[in-house]
Amino acid sequence: MAQVLGINFGQSYASIAVIDKEGHPTCIANEEGERQIACAISYAGEQVYIGNGAKPHLVKNGKNTIMGFRNLLGHTYDEVDHTAILTAPLVADSETPSYTVDILLPPPRQPTPAPRSAAASGTATPNPAASEPIPSTKTLTVPQVTSLFLSTLLASATDFLGAKPTACVVSAPTWFTHAQTDALRNAAKDAGIEVLQVLDEAAAVLVGYRVGLSQERKERGLLGKPEEGSAGEEEKRDKRVVVLDMGETSLSISVVAVAEGEYTVLAKGREDKLGGREFDNLLLKHFAKEFTKKTKVALDLPCGPNASEADKRSEAKLRLAVDHTKRSLSASTGAATCAVESLKDGMDLSTSINRLRFDGLAAGVYRQVGQKLSEVVASAKLDLSQIDEILLAGSLTLFPGLQQHLALLVPATTPVTATIDPSEVIAVGCALQALHLSTLEDGLQIEDVLALGKGEVECTSKPIGLVVPGQQGDEMITLIPAGAPLPVRRRVVIPVKAGTERVALEIWEGKDEVKVEKVDPVPREKTVDDEDDEDEDEDEDDEPEEIKTPVTLKVTCIGATELDIHEGRDVLVEVIVQKSGGVQVRVWEDGHQGHPSTFEV
Amino acid sequence: MASVVTLPITFGAIPSGYSKPTSTSKPSPPISLQVYPAGPSFIASARRQILQRTFAEDDKAVESSRAAAAAAAANGASGDLYPGLGEEQEAPELLASDPKEWKKQDHYAVLGLGNLRYKANDEQIRIAHRRKVLRHHPDKKAATSGANDDAFFKCIQKAHETLTNSDRRRQFDSVDWNIEDEVPDLKKIPADQFCEVLGPIFAREARFSRIQPVPGFGGSDASKKEVEGFYDFWYNFDSWRSFEWHDKEVNEGSDSRDDKRFTEKKNKSERTRRKKEDNTRLRTLIDEVLALDPRIKRIKADEKAARDAKKKGGVAGGPAKPLTPAEKKAAEEKRKAEEAAKAAEEKKNSESSKADREAAKKAKEAARKNLKKWKKSIATVITSSNYFQPAGASASPAIIEKQLGELDVLCELLEPEAVKDLKEQIEKAGSGEPAKAALVAKVNELGEKAEGKFTEFA
Repeated sequence: MAQVLGINFGQSYASIAVIDKEGHPTCIANEEGERQIACAISYAGEQVYIGNGAKPHLVKNGKNTIMGFRNLLGHTYDEVDHTAILTAPLVADSETPSYTVDILLPPPRQPTPAPRSAAASGTATPNPAASEPIPSTKTLTVPQVTSLFLSTLLASATDFLGAKPTACVVSAPTWFTHAQTDALRNAAKDAGIEVLQVLDEAAAVLVGYRVGLSQERKERGLLGKPEEGSAGEEEKRDKRVVVLDMGETSLSISVVAVAEGEYTVLAKGREDKLGGREFDNLLLKHFAKEFTKKTKVALDLPCGPNASEADKRSEAKLRLAVDHTKRSLSASTGAATCAVESLKDGMDLSTSINRLRFDGLAAGVYRQVGQKLSEVVASAKLDLSQIDEILLAGSLTLFPGLQQHLALLVPATTPVTATIDPSEVIAVGCALQALHLSTLEDGLQIEDVLALGKGEVECTSKPIGLVVPGQQGDEMITLIPAGAPLPVRRRVVIPVKAGTERVALEIWEGKDEVKVEKVDPVPREKTVDDEDDEDEDEDEDDEPEEIKTPVTLKVTCIGATELDIHEGRDVLVEVIVQKSGGVQVRVWEDGHQGHPSTFEV
Repeated sequence: MASVVTLPITFGAIPSGYSKPTSTSKPSPPISLQVYPAGPSFIASARRQILQRTFAEDDKAVESSRAAAAAAAANGASGDLYPGLGEEQEAPELLASDPKEWKKQDHYAVLGLGNLRYKANDEQIRIAHRRKVLRHHPDKKAATSGANDDAFFKCIQKAHETLTNSDRRRQFDSVDWNIEDEVPDLKKIPADQFCEVLGPIFAREARFSRIQPVPGFGGSDASKKEVEGFYDFWYNFDSWRSFEWHDKEVNEGSDSRDDKRFTEKKNKSERTRRKKEDNTRLRTLIDEVLALDPRIKRIKADEKAARDAKKKGGVAGGPAKPLTPAEKKAAEEKRKAEEAAKAAEEKKNSESSKADREAAKKAKEAARKNLKKWKKSIATVITSSNYFQPAGASASPAIIEKQLGELDVLCELLEPEAVKDLKEQIEKAGSGEPAKAALVAKVNELGEKAEGKFTEFA
């Protein structure tokens, strides 16, 4: 079998996934044991550090360290923001953004010394300066940097697999333009790997979770665990999902309609300033304050562009340390430590922060994330209660505080899912997609298949559902949701009550709405203990609680049919909506497929 | 495949008084949305679209491909590849073989590949070995019969070791005594069975060829080209057959280097001798076969018949019958001969005309030499007749120049012969008007070429 690779190529971190022996995708670690590989390259003298090893160089060797280059791909110099404080600056006089770094070239090869002889040699001792490396500079364009970085990822995967992977799928943010995708593709080609597809990050998450594929998702144990309801036991065939991807530098939210595993984009949103950096800054501020309090050394972090060299250096040091603190906060329940030697003026910092304290600090950021989520969902003309699941991606969504905050925004039956490690899910999804693409059936070309996904596709505009006369009121049972790519087919089974001889059903077109019920809270039983804080409780109890439930109301009737029941078995209903918009309905009793009752519109 | 969901409702009887809704309408028109080109469902939908299948057709195709995959998986899992291979009961004398006598052991028979021999592929060897080991492992024997006998197991291991190493396997195949090099007496083979008998023999010899595939012996109606190709190949046969297997063991125990070298040298010379013998054997075989091959005789006869037919005059030779390759060849040759004759003819023609041309050229050359002389004599006539001026009037220099100039032009335009002709005419006319008339006549003969160039002699 051909070896395929999934690459999550983020702005700050990358991760890689391969298909293991059982045929399931797994995220793999590089030689240093890191699954999250920092997108950083540092030139230090004759050495080049790539990945997590390059990050510490920000402190001493910031001018020769390149970071955050992915988003510059496919842009010209004028289009990008070039005000990096700590990393290598962009070269102003070139069209494609590029960096110049100081390097040391290895010394020129010395002429081989004359064969030794007992006689004193006539030649002068070689000049020691000549064997020193020569200081020089090197200019790298962003595509060059990218392909250099991707080739190290490829090397890691090759080491892991024992053979060079033949093809890969690389993730790119939802907002990447064509030029940027092409630039990424070319960079990967230069690195020596064929890109089957540049996959949207949100799509990679959906593929990774196998959303909409009821059986597979259940088998792999990927279902989320909501507080209530049955969503954790059974995957719905058609649902609305939010993919929330919060990485080191940005937050992106997509609202997607899932129709049995086909993903239609309803709305997209992105916040560039909301990412891990925000949490870093909060922690920096917190620890700097604590440092000042303890040591009486003035330190105000994060510092502005005009800050002193010393401050900038302490910021870089603390940023590296805080990275670790962040991870401990999301991994363990205990307090997370943060220790920096000689943070400023030779004074050390050694302190810790617990989860509660951190959640208090970060509440503002959590709220902003929640707000953005509501905004994006509203732009899809939906209500949060109509969302069936929230999928988390990006290492920052690992914070339990954030997960709790999001869970409170949606109904208790909606799972906030992080069953695949959010920092790995994109790479896993990419690997899975690469597997799907590399095992296409005969007669299918990857280009042809992907070409069908370019541009927009005809989808159902309104839900189509089923109404059994005499059973429901205004509501219908949705068979085909709104936003399902055409043509679409759905089959359902409806049990029949014993002794029924003839059944009738109607097919309706409907609309999704939210039913709002105001429920007066159950009045508290007043006990003696409560007497004291009665005043406080008063305001809370007064407001009636709103309970929102999504419903689908029937609007116009498309058709109706009746069917004779012979053996009292279940009834199957099949509805197909063709590309032209025509609807075909077939109804038959189980085992009597040859005698259906049908109609077409 | 369509997944089926059971709805959380049940059908009851139709409520009394229910009638179908009367007002029905078409569903709303579709809208355009972006889809993510990802996931198996997208690929399935793309497949339906590209291969233009309906849902039902696609279901069928998916089901059949799934069934095929399941069948293949079941096949692979149960290991039913090469059923019965290596599972037959060994003959008692084979079981009793001594692992120390491995040079005399039939490795194929030990692994149960006696019927395949050199045709056995690596996969078959691997599987046969695995099955044999399962049955003859010493641990298993100790458990069942309590005997501590691993002799046959050692034989199996040795056979596997030999047959999985390509060099060793070739050495063994080279000397495989179960395949005889024997050839029946060629002279006793009836001509109509010649190909049937020799086909398998050459197929057997072909296993030693470095160049694969080897052309087959072919049937008795093989074309001249096939037969020639076959003998060409076998006269240039490149064999990998070698005779290391018969080498005498170098006595490891002895320290004497000379002893070792002596044995090695002997082995080497023995190997070359055997190889030479084998090459000669094959060469004689081919020589004999070629000499007796009825096909060669047939081809020669055909060719002769074709030649004869040609001699007799082609068509008269016989009624229209399909051309045999030999006849075709004869016809070809005839055509070639004709073409050659034609070419010779043409050459000859061209040669004769060449001689003509050269003579003409020479004449022309001579004429050109005389041209000046003739021109001068014409000019003399013109001068003597006072440039055709009326008597008494002297010719002006302009007229003289013009007339001489026109004479030059005329001589240039005329062929040297015509100039000679003109000169003779003028000399005949003597002088005066008749001479001028002759000149004018010549100018008029030139016609168009002379137009506008002559004023004096027009």
